[in-house]
Amino acid sequence: MKPFFAQIERDLLIAWQNRQDLGVMLVFFVIIIALFPLAIGANAPVLDPLGVPVIWIAALLAILAGFDRLFAQDVRDGWLDQIALSQLGLGWYALAKAISHWITAGLPLLIMTPLMAMMLNIPLQQWPPLLVALLIGSMGLTLLGVIGAALAEGARRGTALMALLILPLAVPLLIFGTLASQSDRGIISPHLMLLGAVFALLLALAPLVAASALEIGETETGL
Amino acid sequence: MTDHDHKKTARKTAPSTADHRLHIDQLSVLRGMVLVIHNLSHRQSAGDICCLTGPNGAGKSTLLRTIAGRLPAAGGDISCAAPIIYVGHTDGLSGAISGRENLAGWAKINGFSTTETAIDTALSSFATSRFADLPVRVLSRGQRRRLALARLALSPADSLWLLDEPNAGLDQASSRILDDIAQKHAMAGGMVLAATHLDFAAAAKPGSLHLPGLVT
Repeated sequence: MKPFFAQIERDLLIAWQNRQDLGVMLVFFVIIIALFPLAIGANAPVLDPLGVPVIWIAALLAILAGFDRLFAQDVRDGWLDQIALSQLGLGWYALAKAISHWITAGLPLLIMTPLMAMMLNIPLQQWPPLLVALLIGSMGLTLLGVIGAALAEGARRGTALMALLILPLAVPLLIFGTLASQSDRGIISPHLMLLGAVFALLLALAPLVAASALEIGETETGL
Repeated sequence: MTDHDHKKTARKTAPSTADHRLHIDQLSVLRGMVLVIHNLSHRQSAGDICCLTGPNGAGKSTLLRTIAGRLPAAGGDISCAAPIIYVGHTDGLSGAISGRENLAGWAKINGFSTTETAIDTALSSFATSRFADLPVRVLSRGQRRRLALARLALSPADSLWLLDEPNAGLDQASSRILDDIAQKHAMAGGMVLAATHLDFAAAAKPGSLHLPGLVT
Protein backbone atom coordinates (compact mmCIF):
# COMPACT_ATOMS: atom_id res chain seq x y z
CA MET A 1 0.00 0.00 0.00
CA LYS A 2 3.01 2.29 0.38
CA PRO A 3 3.17 3.33 -3.30
CA PHE A 4 -0.56 4.10 -3.17
CA PHE A 5 -0.17 6.51 -0.27
CA ALA A 6 2.96 7.95 -1.84
CA GLN A 7 0.88 8.95 -4.87
CA ILE A 8 -1.75 10.59 -2.63
CA GLU A 9 0.98 12.37 -0.70
CA ARG A 10 2.52 13.66 -3.94
CA ASP A 11 -0.83 14.96 -5.22
CA LEU A 12 -1.57 16.69 -1.93
CA LEU A 13 1.87 18.33 -1.98
CA ILE A 14 1.23 19.58 -5.52
CA ALA A 15 -2.28 20.72 -4.62
CA TRP A 16 -0.90 22.64 -1.65
CA GLN A 17 1.55 24.46 -3.94
CA ASN A 18 -1.35 25.28 -6.29
CA ARG A 19 -3.74 26.18 -3.52
CA GLN A 20 -5.12 29.22 -5.31
CA ASP A 21 -7.02 26.76 -7.54
CA LEU A 22 -8.93 25.66 -4.45
CA GLY A 23 -9.93 29.25 -3.76
CA VAL A 24 -11.24 29.64 -7.30
CA MET A 25 -13.34 26.50 -6.93
CA LEU A 26 -14.83 27.60 -3.60
CA VAL A 27 -15.64 31.08 -4.89
CA PHE A 28 -17.32 29.49 -7.91
CA PHE A 29 -19.44 27.37 -5.55
CA VAL A 30 -20.44 30.36 -3.42
CA ILE A 31 -21.21 32.57 -6.41
CA ILE A 32 -23.53 30.05 -8.07
CA ILE A 33 -25.46 29.73 -4.82
CA ALA A 34 -25.53 33.48 -4.23
CA LEU A 35 -26.87 34.15 -7.73
CA PHE A 36 -30.16 32.34 -7.09
CA PRO A 37 -31.55 34.63 -4.35
CA LEU A 38 -30.32 37.61 -6.36
CA ALA A 39 -32.17 36.48 -9.47
CA ILE A 40 -35.35 35.29 -7.80
CA GLY A 41 -35.62 37.90 -5.08
CA ALA A 42 -34.48 37.32 -1.52
CA ASN A 43 -37.89 37.34 0.12
CA ALA A 44 -39.76 35.18 -2.32
CA PRO A 45 -41.38 32.12 -0.68
CA VAL A 46 -40.38 30.15 -3.77
CA LEU A 47 -36.78 30.15 -2.47
CA ASP A 48 -37.51 27.83 0.45
CA PRO A 49 -37.90 24.59 -1.51
CA LEU A 50 -35.03 25.64 -3.78
CA GLY A 51 -32.31 25.65 -1.12
CA VAL A 52 -31.20 22.02 -1.22
CA PRO A 53 -31.33 21.60 -5.02
CA VAL A 54 -29.34 24.80 -5.48
CA ILE A 55 -26.58 23.56 -3.17
CA TRP A 56 -26.48 20.25 -5.05
CA ILE A 57 -26.27 21.81 -8.49
CA ALA A 58 -23.58 24.22 -7.33
CA ALA A 59 -21.60 21.35 -5.76
CA LEU A 60 -21.94 19.25 -8.91
CA LEU A 61 -20.70 22.04 -11.16
CA ALA A 62 -17.90 23.09 -8.82
CA ILE A 63 -16.59 19.53 -8.43
CA LEU A 64 -16.76 18.64 -12.12
CA ALA A 65 -15.25 21.96 -13.20
CA GLY A 66 -12.00 21.09 -11.45
CA PHE A 67 -11.37 17.97 -13.46
CA ASP A 68 -10.02 19.04 -16.81
CA ARG A 69 -6.42 19.08 -15.62
CA LEU A 70 -6.52 16.03 -13.37
CA PHE A 71 -4.41 13.78 -15.61
CA ALA A 72 -3.22 16.31 -18.20
CA GLN A 73 -0.36 17.59 -16.07
CA ASP A 74 0.89 14.11 -15.21
CA VAL A 75 0.80 13.09 -18.88
CA ARG A 76 2.68 16.20 -19.98
CA ASP A 77 5.28 15.82 -17.24
CA GLY A 78 5.86 12.18 -18.16
CA TRP A 79 4.81 11.08 -14.69
CA LEU A 80 2.28 8.67 -16.16
CA ASP A 81 5.12 6.77 -17.88
CA GLN A 82 6.80 6.37 -14.51
CA ILE A 83 3.53 5.21 -12.94
CA ALA A 84 2.96 2.62 -15.66
CA LEU A 85 6.38 1.10 -14.98
CA SER A 86 6.06 1.25 -11.20
CA GLN A 87 4.52 -1.11 -8.69
CA LEU A 88 1.48 1.12 -8.47
CA GLY A 89 -0.32 0.42 -11.73
CA LEU A 90 -2.83 2.68 -13.44
CA GLY A 91 -5.94 1.48 -11.57
CA TRP A 92 -4.57 2.25 -8.12
CA TYR A 93 -3.12 5.44 -9.52
CA ALA A 94 -6.59 6.53 -10.68
CA LEU A 95 -8.07 5.72 -7.27
CA ALA A 96 -5.30 7.67 -5.54
CA LYS A 97 -6.04 10.61 -7.82
CA ALA A 98 -9.74 10.40 -6.90
CA ILE A 99 -8.97 10.41 -3.18
CA SER A 100 -6.55 13.31 -3.33
CA HIS A 101 -8.92 15.28 -5.54
CA TRP A 102 -11.78 14.68 -3.13
CA ILE A 103 -9.65 15.85 -0.20
CA THR A 104 -8.69 19.03 -2.03
CA ALA A 105 -12.05 19.80 -3.66
CA GLY A 106 -14.92 17.80 -2.13
CA LEU A 107 -13.94 18.23 1.50
CA PRO A 108 -13.57 22.05 1.49
CA LEU A 109 -16.88 22.25 -0.30
CA LEU A 110 -18.51 20.14 2.36
CA ILE A 111 -17.07 22.40 5.03
CA MET A 112 -18.52 25.42 3.25
CA THR A 113 -21.95 23.83 2.99
CA PRO A 114 -23.32 24.72 6.48
CA LEU A 115 -22.54 28.35 5.71
CA MET A 116 -24.42 28.11 2.43
CA ALA A 117 -27.30 26.30 4.13
CA MET A 118 -27.54 29.16 6.59
CA MET A 119 -27.51 31.67 3.76
CA LEU A 120 -30.35 29.86 1.97
CA ASN A 121 -32.30 29.58 5.22
CA ILE A 122 -32.45 25.80 5.18
CA PRO A 123 -34.03 24.59 8.49
CA LEU A 124 -31.53 23.19 10.97
CA GLN A 125 -33.08 19.71 11.13
CA GLN A 126 -32.36 19.30 7.41
CA TRP A 127 -28.63 19.88 7.79
CA PRO A 128 -27.61 16.36 8.88
CA PRO A 129 -29.32 14.56 5.96
CA LEU A 130 -27.99 17.22 3.56
CA LEU A 131 -24.42 16.89 4.79
CA VAL A 132 -24.41 13.09 4.81
CA ALA A 133 -25.93 12.91 1.33
CA LEU A 134 -23.51 15.53 0.06
CA LEU A 135 -20.59 13.61 1.57
CA ILE A 136 -21.47 10.47 -0.38
CA GLY A 137 -22.58 12.42 -3.42
CA SER A 138 -19.36 14.43 -3.64
CA MET A 139 -17.30 11.24 -3.48
CA GLY A 140 -19.43 9.72 -6.24
CA LEU A 141 -19.10 12.84 -8.39
CA THR A 142 -15.33 12.77 -7.89
CA LEU A 143 -15.18 9.18 -9.17
CA LEU A 144 -17.29 10.15 -12.18
CA GLY A 145 -14.98 13.05 -12.83
CA VAL A 146 -11.99 10.72 -12.77
CA ILE A 147 -13.62 8.58 -15.47
CA GLY A 148 -14.37 11.66 -17.54
CA ALA A 149 -10.91 13.13 -17.14
CA ALA A 150 -9.29 9.84 -18.15
CA LEU A 151 -11.55 9.49 -21.21
CA ALA A 152 -11.00 13.08 -22.25
CA GLU A 153 -7.22 12.76 -21.85
CA GLY A 154 -5.81 12.68 -25.33
CA ALA A 155 -8.95 14.05 -26.96
CA ARG A 156 -8.23 17.51 -28.23
CA ARG A 157 -11.26 19.29 -26.89
CA GLY A 158 -11.13 17.37 -23.66
CA THR A 159 -13.04 19.68 -21.38
CA ALA A 160 -16.12 20.09 -23.54
CA LEU A 161 -16.15 16.38 -24.27
CA MET A 162 -15.94 15.61 -20.59
CA ALA A 163 -18.94 17.75 -19.71
CA LEU A 164 -20.99 15.99 -22.38
CA LEU A 165 -19.91 12.57 -21.14
CA ILE A 166 -20.19 13.09 -17.44
CA LEU A 167 -23.16 15.37 -16.82
CA PRO A 168 -25.76 12.79 -17.95
CA LEU A 169 -24.06 10.16 -15.79
CA ALA A 170 -24.28 12.47 -12.80
CA VAL A 171 -28.08 12.50 -13.00
CA PRO A 172 -28.68 9.47 -10.70
CA LEU A 173 -26.38 10.97 -8.08
CA LEU A 174 -28.24 14.26 -8.32
CA ILE A 175 -31.70 12.69 -8.07
CA PHE A 176 -30.96 10.38 -5.15
CA GLY A 177 -28.82 13.02 -3.50
CA THR A 178 -31.43 15.76 -3.48
CA LEU A 179 -34.17 13.36 -2.36
CA ALA A 180 -31.99 11.99 0.45
CA SER A 181 -31.11 15.55 1.52
CA GLN A 182 -34.79 16.47 1.83
CA SER A 183 -35.70 13.33 3.72
CA ASP A 184 -38.06 13.95 6.64
CA ARG A 185 -37.41 10.51 8.11
CA GLY A 186 -33.96 11.09 9.57
CA ILE A 187 -30.58 10.63 7.97
CA ILE A 188 -30.88 7.03 6.81
CA SER A 189 -33.50 7.14 4.09
CA PRO A 190 -34.10 4.76 1.18
CA HIS A 191 -32.76 7.44 -1.14
CA LEU A 192 -29.54 7.65 0.82
CA MET A 193 -29.13 3.91 0.41
CA LEU A 194 -29.66 4.20 -3.34
CA LEU A 195 -27.15 7.03 -3.40
CA GLY A 196 -24.75 4.77 -1.52
CA ALA A 197 -25.35 2.00 -4.05
CA VAL A 198 -24.48 4.30 -6.95
CA PHE A 199 -21.35 5.37 -5.08
CA ALA A 200 -20.34 1.76 -4.40
CA LEU A 201 -20.77 0.90 -8.07
CA LEU A 202 -18.64 3.87 -9.10
CA LEU A 203 -16.00 3.00 -6.53
CA ALA A 204 -15.63 -0.44 -8.06
CA LEU A 205 -15.78 0.63 -11.71
CA ALA A 206 -14.14 4.05 -11.92
CA PRO A 207 -10.50 3.00 -11.30
CA LEU A 208 -10.76 0.19 -13.86
CA VAL A 209 -12.44 2.35 -16.50
CA ALA A 210 -10.00 5.19 -15.91
CA ALA A 211 -7.01 2.84 -16.12
CA SER A 212 -8.02 1.39 -19.46
CA ALA A 213 -8.93 4.84 -20.80
CA LEU A 214 -5.48 6.13 -19.85
CA GLU A 215 -3.83 3.15 -21.48
CA ILE A 216 -5.73 3.57 -24.75
CA GLY A 217 -5.30 7.34 -24.79
CA GLU A 218 -1.55 6.84 -24.58
CA THR A 219 -1.27 4.53 -27.57
CA GLU A 220 -3.46 6.71 -29.79
CA THR A 221 -1.79 10.03 -29.18
CA GLY A 222 1.71 9.27 -27.85
CA LEU A 223 4.84 10.72 -29.29
CA MET B 1 -2.02 -4.87 -5.53
CA THR B 2 0.10 -7.96 -5.13
CA ASP B 3 -1.93 -9.67 -7.80
CA HIS B 4 -1.22 -6.81 -10.12
CA ASP B 5 2.51 -6.91 -9.33
CA HIS B 6 2.54 -10.56 -10.04
CA LYS B 7 0.92 -10.16 -13.43
CA LYS B 8 3.30 -7.38 -14.31
CA THR B 9 6.43 -9.32 -13.54
CA ALA B 10 5.03 -12.42 -15.20
CA ARG B 11 4.63 -10.50 -18.42
CA LYS B 12 8.16 -9.23 -18.32
CA THR B 13 9.96 -12.30 -17.06
CA ALA B 14 11.09 -14.52 -19.84
CA PRO B 15 12.41 -18.06 -19.85
CA SER B 16 16.03 -16.93 -19.81
CA THR B 17 17.73 -18.77 -22.61
CA ALA B 18 21.47 -18.21 -22.74
CA ASP B 19 22.63 -15.09 -20.95
CA HIS B 20 20.39 -12.66 -22.72
CA ARG B 21 18.16 -10.74 -20.40
CA LEU B 22 16.52 -8.55 -23.04
CA HIS B 23 15.06 -10.32 -26.06
CA ILE B 24 13.46 -8.52 -28.95
CA ASP B 25 12.26 -10.79 -31.73
CA GLN B 26 10.90 -9.67 -35.09
CA LEU B 27 9.39 -6.59 -33.51
CA SER B 28 7.12 -4.33 -35.55
CA VAL B 29 5.50 -1.18 -34.21
CA LEU B 30 2.87 1.01 -35.85
CA ARG B 31 2.39 4.71 -35.13
CA GLY B 32 -0.89 5.71 -36.70
CA MET B 33 -0.72 4.22 -40.19
CA VAL B 34 3.06 4.25 -40.41
CA LEU B 35 5.17 1.18 -39.77
CA VAL B 36 7.93 2.78 -37.73
CA ILE B 37 9.79 -0.34 -36.66
CA HIS B 38 9.86 -3.35 -38.93
CA ASN B 39 11.15 -6.80 -38.01
CA LEU B 40 13.68 -5.65 -35.48
CA SER B 41 15.57 -8.21 -33.45
CA HIS B 42 17.94 -7.38 -30.65
CA ARG B 43 19.61 -9.15 -27.75
CA GLN B 44 21.22 -7.72 -24.70
CA SER B 45 22.74 -9.44 -21.70
CA ALA B 46 23.86 -8.27 -18.29
CA GLY B 47 26.69 -5.76 -18.54
CA ASP B 48 25.82 -4.50 -22.02
CA ILE B 49 25.60 -0.86 -22.95
CA CYS B 50 23.93 -0.28 -26.29
CA CYS B 51 23.58 2.99 -28.17
CA LEU B 52 20.48 3.34 -30.26
CA THR B 53 21.26 5.47 -33.28
CA GLY B 54 19.39 6.64 -36.35
CA PRO B 55 17.99 9.78 -37.97
CA ASN B 56 15.04 11.74 -36.54
CA GLY B 57 11.84 9.78 -36.89
CA ALA B 58 13.63 6.46 -37.21
CA GLY B 59 11.73 5.13 -34.22
CA LYS B 60 14.27 5.39 -31.42
CA SER B 61 11.82 6.82 -28.88
CA THR B 62 9.12 4.48 -30.16
CA LEU B 63 11.35 1.47 -29.58
CA LEU B 64 12.21 2.58 -26.04
CA ARG B 65 8.57 3.23 -25.20
CA THR B 66 7.57 -0.13 -26.63
CA ILE B 67 10.15 -1.91 -24.48
CA ALA B 68 8.87 0.07 -21.50
CA GLY B 69 5.40 -1.30 -22.25
CA ARG B 70 3.96 2.13 -23.05
CA LEU B 71 3.18 1.30 -26.69
CA PRO B 72 1.73 -1.91 -28.07
CA ALA B 73 3.76 -3.99 -30.51
CA ALA B 74 2.05 -4.72 -33.82
CA GLY B 75 4.01 -7.92 -34.13
CA GLY B 76 6.88 -9.81 -32.59
CA ASP B 77 7.96 -10.33 -29.01
CA ILE B 78 9.71 -8.42 -26.31
CA SER B 79 10.78 -9.98 -23.08
CA CYS B 80 12.91 -8.50 -20.41
CA ALA B 81 14.09 -10.33 -17.31
CA ALA B 82 15.14 -7.21 -15.46
CA PRO B 83 13.37 -4.28 -13.83
CA ILE B 84 13.02 -1.38 -16.27
CA ILE B 85 13.96 2.21 -15.47
CA TYR B 86 12.80 4.64 -18.14
CA VAL B 87 13.99 8.22 -18.47
CA GLY B 88 12.11 9.66 -21.44
CA HIS B 89 12.41 13.09 -22.94
CA THR B 90 9.78 14.30 -20.56
CA ASP B 91 11.45 14.21 -17.18
CA GLY B 92 8.53 12.98 -15.10
CA LEU B 93 8.95 15.83 -12.62
CA SER B 94 6.14 17.99 -11.29
CA GLY B 95 6.99 21.69 -11.50
CA ALA B 96 5.07 22.54 -8.35
CA ILE B 97 7.17 20.57 -5.88
CA SER B 98 10.90 20.32 -5.24
CA GLY B 99 13.32 17.93 -6.90
CA ARG B 100 13.79 16.12 -3.61
CA GLU B 101 10.04 15.58 -3.19
CA ASN B 102 9.79 14.40 -6.79
CA LEU B 103 12.60 11.91 -6.33
CA ALA B 104 11.33 10.62 -2.98
CA GLY B 105 7.83 10.16 -4.41
CA TRP B 106 9.23 8.25 -7.35
CA ALA B 107 11.28 6.00 -5.06
CA LYS B 108 8.18 5.29 -2.95
CA ILE B 109 5.90 4.32 -5.80
CA ASN B 110 8.61 1.95 -7.03
CA GLY B 111 9.31 0.52 -3.60
CA PHE B 112 12.98 1.58 -3.66
CA SER B 113 14.92 2.79 -0.68
CA THR B 114 13.60 6.13 0.56
CA THR B 115 15.90 6.76 3.49
CA GLU B 116 17.30 10.26 3.80
CA THR B 117 20.81 9.06 2.94
CA ALA B 118 19.69 7.11 -0.13
CA ILE B 119 17.87 10.17 -1.51
CA ASP B 120 20.80 12.44 -0.66
CA THR B 121 23.29 10.13 -2.36
CA ALA B 122 21.09 9.94 -5.45
CA LEU B 123 20.73 13.71 -5.56
CA SER B 124 24.46 14.24 -5.25
CA SER B 125 25.21 11.74 -8.05
CA PHE B 126 24.44 14.44 -10.61
CA ALA B 127 25.47 17.29 -8.30
CA THR B 128 21.89 18.43 -7.88
CA SER B 129 22.01 18.97 -4.10
CA ARG B 130 22.37 22.72 -4.49
CA PHE B 131 19.00 23.16 -6.22
CA ALA B 132 17.16 20.03 -5.09
CA ASP B 133 14.99 21.92 -2.65
CA LEU B 134 13.72 24.53 -5.10
CA PRO B 135 10.43 24.01 -6.92
CA VAL B 136 11.24 22.32 -10.22
CA ARG B 137 9.47 24.99 -12.31
CA VAL B 138 12.22 27.53 -11.58
CA LEU B 139 14.97 25.19 -12.79
CA SER B 140 16.61 25.16 -16.21
CA ARG B 141 16.21 22.39 -18.77
CA GLY B 142 19.56 20.87 -17.87
CA GLN B 143 18.93 21.00 -14.14
CA ARG B 144 15.64 19.15 -14.59
CA ARG B 145 17.37 16.55 -16.69
CA ARG B 146 19.93 16.01 -13.96
CA LEU B 147 17.16 15.52 -11.39
CA ALA B 148 15.46 13.02 -13.70
CA LEU B 149 18.73 11.14 -14.16
CA ALA B 150 19.34 11.12 -10.40
CA ARG B 151 16.70 8.36 -10.34
CA LEU B 152 19.21 6.01 -11.90
CA ALA B 153 21.23 6.02 -8.68
CA LEU B 154 18.26 4.54 -6.81
CA SER B 155 17.59 1.73 -9.27
CA PRO B 156 18.41 -1.93 -8.58
CA ALA B 157 21.81 -3.13 -9.84
CA ASP B 158 20.40 -5.53 -12.43
CA SER B 159 17.93 -3.10 -13.97
CA LEU B 160 17.64 -2.14 -17.63
CA TRP B 161 18.01 1.59 -18.17
CA LEU B 162 16.09 2.97 -21.13
CA LEU B 163 17.41 6.46 -21.76
CA ASP B 164 15.86 8.70 -24.38
CA GLU B 165 18.30 11.45 -25.42
CA PRO B 166 19.87 11.46 -21.95
CA ASN B 167 22.42 14.12 -22.89
CA ALA B 168 19.85 16.63 -24.13
CA GLY B 169 20.37 19.84 -22.20
CA LEU B 170 23.23 18.46 -20.12
CA ASP B 171 26.50 20.36 -19.74
CA GLN B 172 29.79 18.57 -20.41
CA ALA B 173 30.52 17.78 -16.79
CA SER B 174 27.12 16.15 -16.33
CA SER B 175 27.51 14.20 -19.56
CA ARG B 176 30.75 12.80 -18.23
CA ILE B 177 29.02 11.87 -14.95
CA LEU B 178 26.34 10.10 -16.98
CA ASP B 179 28.99 8.16 -18.91
CA ASP B 180 30.63 7.13 -15.66
CA ILE B 181 27.40 6.09 -14.03
CA ALA B 182 26.33 4.08 -17.06
CA GLN B 183 29.64 2.23 -17.17
CA LYS B 184 29.55 1.49 -13.45
CA HIS B 185 26.01 0.22 -13.83
CA ALA B 186 27.10 -2.09 -16.65
CA MET B 187 30.03 -3.38 -14.63
CA ALA B 188 27.70 -4.18 -11.76
CA GLY B 189 25.62 -6.34 -14.10
CA GLY B 190 23.08 -3.84 -15.32
CA MET B 191 22.03 -2.99 -18.87
CA VAL B 192 21.74 0.32 -20.68
CA LEU B 193 19.93 1.08 -23.91
CA ALA B 194 20.30 4.74 -24.82
CA ALA B 195 18.94 6.62 -27.80
CA THR B 196 21.35 9.40 -28.57
CA HIS B 197 22.84 11.51 -31.33
CA LEU B 198 25.88 12.32 -29.27
CA ASP B 199 28.85 10.30 -28.12
CA PHE B 200 27.75 8.29 -25.19
CA ALA B 201 29.63 5.82 -23.06
CA ALA B 202 32.68 5.23 -25.22
CA ALA B 203 32.88 1.70 -23.85
CA ALA B 204 29.54 0.83 -25.40
CA LYS B 205 29.33 -2.88 -25.95
CA PRO B 206 28.00 -4.59 -28.06
CA GLY B 207 28.21 -1.19 -29.75
CA SER B 208 25.15 0.24 -31.28
CA LEU B 209 21.83 -0.68 -32.74
CA HIS B 210 21.12 1.37 -35.83
CA LEU B 211 17.59 2.12 -36.98
CA PRO B 212 17.74 2.97 -40.69
CA GLY B 213 14.71 5.24 -40.84
CA LEU B 214 11.22 5.12 -42.26
CA VAL B 215 10.03 1.86 -43.74
CA THR B 216 7.34 2.70 -46.25
